[in-house]
Amino acid sequence: MTEVSILLPRKNFDVAINEAFTGGITGIYGPSGSGKTSLLHAIAGLAHPAKGEIKINGKTLFDSAESINLPPEKRNIGYVFQEGRLFPHMTVKKNLLYGIKKKATCKVSFDEVVEMLNLGHVLSSKPSQISGGERQRTALGRSLLSSPQILLLDEPFSAVDTSLRQQILPFILRIQLKVKIPILVVSHDLPDLLKLTDDLFIMKEGQCLGHGMYYQLIKDPEISGIFAGNALVNAIKMVVSKVIPNEGLTRLSWQKNGCEVNIKCEKSRKTYQKGQTVKIFINADDIALSKFPLDHVTIQNQIQGTVTDIIQQDGNLLCIVDVGFRLVVEITENSQKRLDISAGSAVWCLFKSAAIDVAG
Amino acid sequence: MFELMGFNEAEIDAIMLSLKVAVYCTLISLPLALWLGYFMARRNFFGKPLLESIIHLPLVMPPVTTGYLLLVLLGSRSVVGQWLYATFGIRLAFSFEAAVIASVFVSFPLIVRSVRTAMEMVDSGFEEASRMLGAGKWRTFFSVTVPLALPGIVSGTVLSFARSLGEFGATITFAGNIAGETQTLPLAIYAYMQIPGKENETIRLVMVSVAISFLAMVISEWYVKKMKHDRG
Repeated sequence: MTEVSILLPRKNFDVAINEAFTGGITGIYGPSGSGKTSLLHAIAGLAHPAKGEIKINGKTLFDSAESINLPPEKRNIGYVFQEGRLFPHMTVKKNLLYGIKKKATCKVSFDEVVEMLNLGHVLSSKPSQISGGERQRTALGRSLLSSPQILLLDEPFSAVDTSLRQQILPFILRIQLKVKIPILVVSHDLPDLLKLTDDLFIMKEGQCLGHGMYYQLIKDPEISGIFAGNALVNAIKMVVSKVIPNEGLTRLSWQKNGCEVNIKCEKSRKTYQKGQTVKIFINADDIALSKFPLDHVTIQNQIQGTVTDIIQQDGNLLCIVDVGFRLVVEITENSQKRLDISAGSAVWCLFKSAAIDVAG
Repeated sequence: MFELMGFNEAEIDAIMLSLKVAVYCTLISLPLALWLGYFMARRNFFGKPLLESIIHLPLVMPPVTTGYLLLVLLGSRSVVGQWLYATFGIRLAFSFEAAVIASVFVSFPLIVRSVRTAMEMVDSGFEEASRMLGAGKWRTFFSVTVPLALPGIVSGTVLSFARSLGEFGATITFAGNIAGETQTLPLAIYAYMQIPGKENETIRLVMVSVAISFLAMVISEWYVKKMKHDRG
């Protein structure tokens, strides 16, 4: 657990945070210049709060009252910088090996990291000779190999190239799955952040506006105002239950507390193994609501659920539908009136198999 | 080798002495310049412009003035000079050591300037990245900062090496022109020029001087280019 309670003065405002971050991936979201990177810097020891305390797993890294301030190299924190900051005079291999500690027992080995991040073919290249995606992966791997207690990622999706942004996503998910260390991800890109995690920490002008599950957070008008203008993405972990190659479809299932949800998704470019865990993404505006299941349509996914909340946002409405897991669905006010949807309504969520994106 | 080229003993002495002074001078200047260059590049402190001016003073001052000031400060009649003689029996002025000291003072601004500029060009983000990977200040300095600033450090070192080879004014004032002891190449050339009929010898030494300086520059240029090429 990472406990942060700090006051860090900045030019326009003070960053004042009092929060505990537990395991898993936490997304730190907020508009540009809201103090997200300052928070990471304070945890890493690259910025010094005026007062407060920072602890990781009970160990004090910073305490203004006790005059404790461990230097960055003693904090055992992995920091992946926005620009990667690979050492240009070293090969990829030397970059990866730079932080390996002789005594510490690392959760992952060099070979595992190279394999997991698909870096085998660039080990002897210099950073200037490899692609942007490979550079990002090298920076991730280098941090992982320094056996950190927590990984801080600063704007991992900030690459200019949009296809590159998506590339890094499955690798971060893979790290979380295999290495199981807490990860804090700073981003101002909500859709990409949502693909990584539901657990969001919202910042504005140095303050925390909320911390929790994103479908809970959007109920807050101020937070939903910050989300406005961004595509909302539903990210759900599912298990491959059947692969139907001749139809080009993969059947996925979600099971919890005796409830089972099955969906079909269309992904011909990759083959999935039965039993494999994948994460799927459906945009909130790609889902339609219906009061009844439809027989004569091409839409293959029709899931029954109950509307739990309706939130006004940006002229549209966000419906949170409990189908076993929660789906955020964007509809117009007009549709809501026509179908008479309100909290408690039983609805069917409809979405095409082709609207689903998969990472895994 | 020099004998084959028809140099006499005094000339060979002068050439070897010049090289020796320049090597000693570089060995003293380089570590100091690395430290001071880094300090000036990364830190801001009260009186920084003043310190900068003092370091750079020998660059703009006539070398004779530098030599004179060294004589006043370290000569046998100065407080420091008297203390050195009383404690260690050392007389600095008009010795080989004096020639090295004079060279260090005159060439130091050149090397420290290059090192500092080169280190300013190194993005401190790389140093932060190194610290985050568990490397302390020293390891970060020697495995990230210095290698990244190396082209500037090398060219600064060569520049200061060449400058100390050519040092004349401060040397003749503080170290004198004693053959075999403080008579470096430029001083030997000057001495020859004073004697009528020594034109050939003068030209010969001038050519050696040009050759050494040229070689140093070529090697440094080649090395810097190679380094840039290696980094892509």
